[in-house]
Amino acid sequence: MRDRLCRLLLASLLWLPLPGLAATPLVVEAALDREVVAPLLEAFAQAHPDIELIFRDRSTLEVDALIESADPAPDVVLSSAMPWQMDRVNQGYARRLDTPRAREWPAWAKWRDEVFGFTFEPIVMAYRLDLSRHMLPPATHADLHTLLTTERDTLRGKVTTYSPSRSGVGYTLFQQDARYTPRFWDLVAAMGDAEASLEANTRAMLQGLSEGRYWLGYNLLGSYAMVWAQQHPEVIVRVPQDYALVMMRMAFIHRDAPHPRAAETFLDFLLGREGQRVLAGQTPLFSVRPDVVGPYTAQRLRDQVGERLYPIPLNASLLAFVDPQRRAAFMARWRREFRRGD
Amino acid sequence: MIAVDGSLKARLAVWLLVTVSGLGALLMLEAYFTTRRAAERAYDSQLEAAALTIAEAVQWQEGRPLVEVPAAALQILATRHQERVFYAVLDDAGRRISANLDLTIPAEARAAAAHAPLWRDLRHAGSGWRLHGREHDSAGWETQDPVQVWVGHTLSGRQALAGELFQRTVIRFLAMVLLAGLLMLLAMRVALTPMRRLRHLLRRREADDMRPLDARVPEELREMAETLDTLFARQRESRDALLRFTADASHQLKTPLAGLQSTSELALKSHQPDEWRRALEAVHAGTQRTSRLAGQLLSLARLRHVGDGGALEPLDLAALLRDTVLDWAGREVAADHDLGLAELPAAPVTVRGEPWALRELLGNLIDNALRYTPPGSEITLGLAMAGDGVELYIEDDGPGVPPEVRERLLRPFERGGRQDTRGSGLGLAIVDSIARRHDAHLRVSARQPHGLRVALHFPPAGKEGKDA
Repeated sequence: MRDRLCRLLLASLLWLPLPGLAATPLVVEAALDREVVAPLLEAFAQAHPDIELIFRDRSTLEVDALIESADPAPDVVLSSAMPWQMDRVNQGYARRLDTPRAREWPAWAKWRDEVFGFTFEPIVMAYRLDLSRHMLPPATHADLHTLLTTERDTLRGKVTTYSPSRSGVGYTLFQQDARYTPRFWDLVAAMGDAEASLEANTRAMLQGLSEGRYWLGYNLLGSYAMVWAQQHPEVIVRVPQDYALVMMRMAFIHRDAPHPRAAETFLDFLLGREGQRVLAGQTPLFSVRPDVVGPYTAQRLRDQVGERLYPIPLNASLLAFVDPQRRAAFMARWRREFRRGD
Repeated sequence: MIAVDGSLKARLAVWLLVTVSGLGALLMLEAYFTTRRAAERAYDSQLEAAALTIAEAVQWQEGRPLVEVPAAALQILATRHQERVFYAVLDDAGRRISANLDLTIPAEARAAAAHAPLWRDLRHAGSGWRLHGREHDSAGWETQDPVQVWVGHTLSGRQALAGELFQRTVIRFLAMVLLAGLLMLLAMRVALTPMRRLRHLLRRREADDMRPLDARVPEELREMAETLDTLFARQRESRDALLRFTADASHQLKTPLAGLQSTSELALKSHQPDEWRRALEAVHAGTQRTSRLAGQLLSLARLRHVGDGGALEPLDLAALLRDTVLDWAGREVAADHDLGLAELPAAPVTVRGEPWALRELLGNLIDNALRYTPPGSEITLGLAMAGDGVELYIEDDGPGVPPEVRERLLRPFERGGRQDTRGSGLGLAIVDSIARRHDAHLRVSARQPHGLRVALHFPPAGKEGKDA
């Protein structure tokens, strides 16, 4: 397979009229909004003008499918669907990155030196200012549950959260929530009773909040919500006070990457000081590195929120989330609980 | 001539090296397999734990087995080395109820796992895997079919652990070798101390100090010290003998010289030419005796101290004996005795020897016999085949020698307890010296009814001669 790719690459090089001047292409398949990550891509283009970065923004499930089916394979895969990324790495689709930066990367944010969590995004609740006029906004998961039960009629149809069936991220977050407490299912039932709307992504939830369709959103990506709240004063973002999940976007080099050198350069940049500084200063994705300074860093978030941040562990236990039977069982229970009140 | 042939330390070091590296290679081989086994066992038990955890999660619902794979089981499987993991739950017919990789389990492995938990190495997608399968009896309300739980992971943890254990063993072993080497060096120094002490002792010794050694030595050096002691003793004896010989010789020469002096002094005082003539005759006889004595002393000294001078050559002993006896029988000194030959063998009797020395030997024997037997005595020489050698003997019917004196006869200046003869007492000593040069054995015995028999036993000509 690799031989074939090498031959292909060689052939394509021979066809180029001036191979020396041509930039190496680098295909990145990502489940990450291009506009959010644009400063990072620009910084990379400036640092490595010899690499022509082709960044394709897709949904998590599309990205996951492309890992197996794309021909030629993408060079780098970025996705927030942690269990699926983990599953692909476990299947052997990742190539080990052996650089000093990769070795120094914190152990809790990487696996096998093959896949790296390069962002640190808190999961938050968001509410519209209208809500605070009617009731005390929730600060914890228990508050939310109480509110949904006591103010069910006021909140009917005005609550939104992820759809676990349409969003890999949402599914992962609920799985992780359910791991912490069985009372989570009471929350699901309460949301079902309040006829919560299920959205496929955070952007749709934020849009609904701004438009006034929703008053309260649960389990939003903090990275997007915080930026949104800066531009939309009617939306308030709240990091839960009991516990806040933290999601990491995971990046790996594809085993059959046609341009492994360029891919290594890109990933090394992503994990390096410059890349992380751009993440911390110009994107809301939060840098993992403790030595990077900026408004969006894991360290600063910890200083603000305290020790109640619970990163979704980047280890083999994630594989359980993509187990078909476990997923089916979880979804069945979700549906059951969500319609408990019917 | 001392040739230095390596050093003891080097020899010990080489032996140590050979032994240690030989044993070490075996030990390392054993350690390699042991550490691998230990690592296997440690990680196999993690596979087992993961399999049991998954088996625990199997439940029956409406006649179908369901399993919600516990996240913990996967973490156990992955181990701290972050292995890639595989799990599969198979139903009775081998169909997959739940699994994460398209890794096919061989049918025979499934059959074997039905009987007993099974561990198996396997290659899948370019990497090595270790699988563990066990059958789980789970009962539901509708069905009670067993399910099989298979788990597996890649091998980097095992290899790392085995490598680490092995490395530790190697380091321990090398440290031990190093330490043993150092201790060995120390031990060698300590062990060789007595040798150094002995060397110092010998170096400090005066040239004429022939006393036995006074040193503490270990068992291994005792023999050498004793040999040295023996050597000293022999040197001391030999020096004493030389001193005694010199003293005796001087004494022997002094007596006739004193006689000559007094005779010549008396003659000088006289004015009678007759007296002068008598004195001159006496001086002449005295100088003759003295010169013979000096000659004998010289030949004895030469025999004793020249060592292995001449070459031994084969000669006919019978012919030599016949010629010598005939020569002596014609002399004036033998006129009063009956000097004769016993019957000699017809064939030549060959021995290896120096003709002049053997003639000197025979002459001394005959001269002795003539001197120490009264006139008219019968002296017979002869050859006898004795055992594998030949015996040359001379016997007389004189008065003989008492047994207690016989032992001393071979010493110089010993006259068999008699001071009445004019012999020098060197005859038998010379005979003995010549006999030793020929590896012949001299035996003095009594002859019945009276008389003396001196026999020389020569070894056979073929075997004889150190330098043959």
